[in-house]
Amino acid sequence: MPIYSKKHINLLRELIVSQYKLKDQSKFLGFIWSFLNPLIMLSVIFMFFSLLMGHSIENYPVYLLIGIVQYTHFSNSTFASMRILYNMKQLTTETIFPKELLVISSIISNVIEFAISLLITVLVAFVSGVHFTWDILYLPLIFILQLMLVSWISLFLSWFYLYVKDIDHIYQVFLRVLFFITPIFYDLSSLGETAKIIALLNPLTHLISFSRIAIIQGGEFPLTSFAILFLVNSILIYFSLILFKKFEPTFAENV
Amino acid sequence: MPGVVILKNISKSFSVDISRPSTYTVIKNLFSRNGHYSRSFNALKDINVEIERGESVGLIGNNGAGKTTLLKTIAGLYRPDNGEVVINGEVNFLAGFGIGMVDELSVTENIYLYGAIYGMDRNKIHQNFDDIVEWAELQNFTGAKLKTLSTGMRTRLAFSVTRFIAADIYLLDEALSAGDKSFRQKCEMVFESYKPDKKTLIISTHNMEFVKKFCTKTLWLHKGVLMDFGDTETVLKKYLEMKNNN
Repeated sequence: MPIYSKKHINLLRELIVSQYKLKDQSKFLGFIWSFLNPLIMLSVIFMFFSLLMGHSIENYPVYLLIGIVQYTHFSNSTFASMRILYNMKQLTTETIFPKELLVISSIISNVIEFAISLLITVLVAFVSGVHFTWDILYLPLIFILQLMLVSWISLFLSWFYLYVKDIDHIYQVFLRVLFFITPIFYDLSSLGETAKIIALLNPLTHLISFSRIAIIQGGEFPLTSFAILFLVNSILIYFSLILFKKFEPTFAENV
Repeated sequence: MPGVVILKNISKSFSVDISRPSTYTVIKNLFSRNGHYSRSFNALKDINVEIERGESVGLIGNNGAGKTTLLKTIAGLYRPDNGEVVINGEVNFLAGFGIGMVDELSVTENIYLYGAIYGMDRNKIHQNFDDIVEWAELQNFTGAKLKTLSTGMRTRLAFSVTRFIAADIYLLDEALSAGDKSFRQKCEMVFESYKPDKKTLIISTHNMEFVKKFCTKTLWLHKGVLMDFGDTETVLKKYLEMKNNN
């Protein structure tokens, strides 16, 4: 495992700050733009599916919002991180710091938007009359778990994109499919047996379900499944980092 | 005294197919009966060199001689096909001035970012900020976006920051190809200041005057082959003789 020193932490901070500024989110209008896409998605889905699903799902707008916020963060963050080594090819090929810092900085620069989106979701839930339980305290843990999932997928995709140029197109199609096989605007119970198995193999299904329990439904929080996912994602982060470091000495000649 | 940079039988080749393959090509090659055949060329051939602490080495040779490949191999950016690279000390590699600087950010923001890329902590940059700006002659531009600066101004800014980079071994690629005469003189003064600290410098350049004046040793590469490595006067004489004969 790589060992990081103070200068690496300092570099990580500078990379995060610069990427965040480049995203234009430090300015008010730029910040609003980043929420416009999920907001439009929410409005359209709500308009078309609230009649269909709204009766069987309690607090459907909040239910929908949780799904969209988590999916949007997952897709934006992994897609941006996948391209970071290639987009910053001069840094990848001409400098000698650990290149995973570029990927991590990309992930963290997307975190602020995600954290604010989750806070807005909680606020919307409160205004909509949702009665919170103590389960809402699990939300920071779910937030961390989502970052863990994004981290290992980003680490893997970022170097893979250096070796195969059209992975971004394939991943874009995959993200579109993922939107439909994740219970964002429908409930898991409305699926047939095979579809349900596919949905359950998808880690985002579990993450979104955890958040819905924490914010809307309350009751028994599935701690065991949470712990298993936490462990599995920790192992996957470890292996994706090992793989990343194994390929790192060949990055410069592949970009 | 053991060398700070030891290259043992280093060879490095590159594929001629420079573009990244598509998924289709990767799958096709995977299932191809004949296997994937890629043409390659040898950028470095069996290089053996030992550079000692405190030496200033000029890396010379025509374009395509393998100078950048050698520096990147020492920096660990390229993995050699054969041989071993032994480094005793902290290495910093400067491929060109301004790598990692961002057009849309201000001069001040770029100073902190660029410094961090080369391992400087925020406090050190903060302490030397005025000096950095003054040396680069950019006192009135700290709030300006980098994109408004001329190429010369950017080069000065980048080099000004790099003066504070701490390392035992500095690798500089075509360091003196940018900037005007006065800038080059300022750079030479900075390089000169490294000497009392016994810093090791390996500088690739086409500027023979600089090599003659500054480098204690010279390493001459030609088409990936080490032609000579030794004291500057002897190596330069051979190099210029070959150039004149061609």
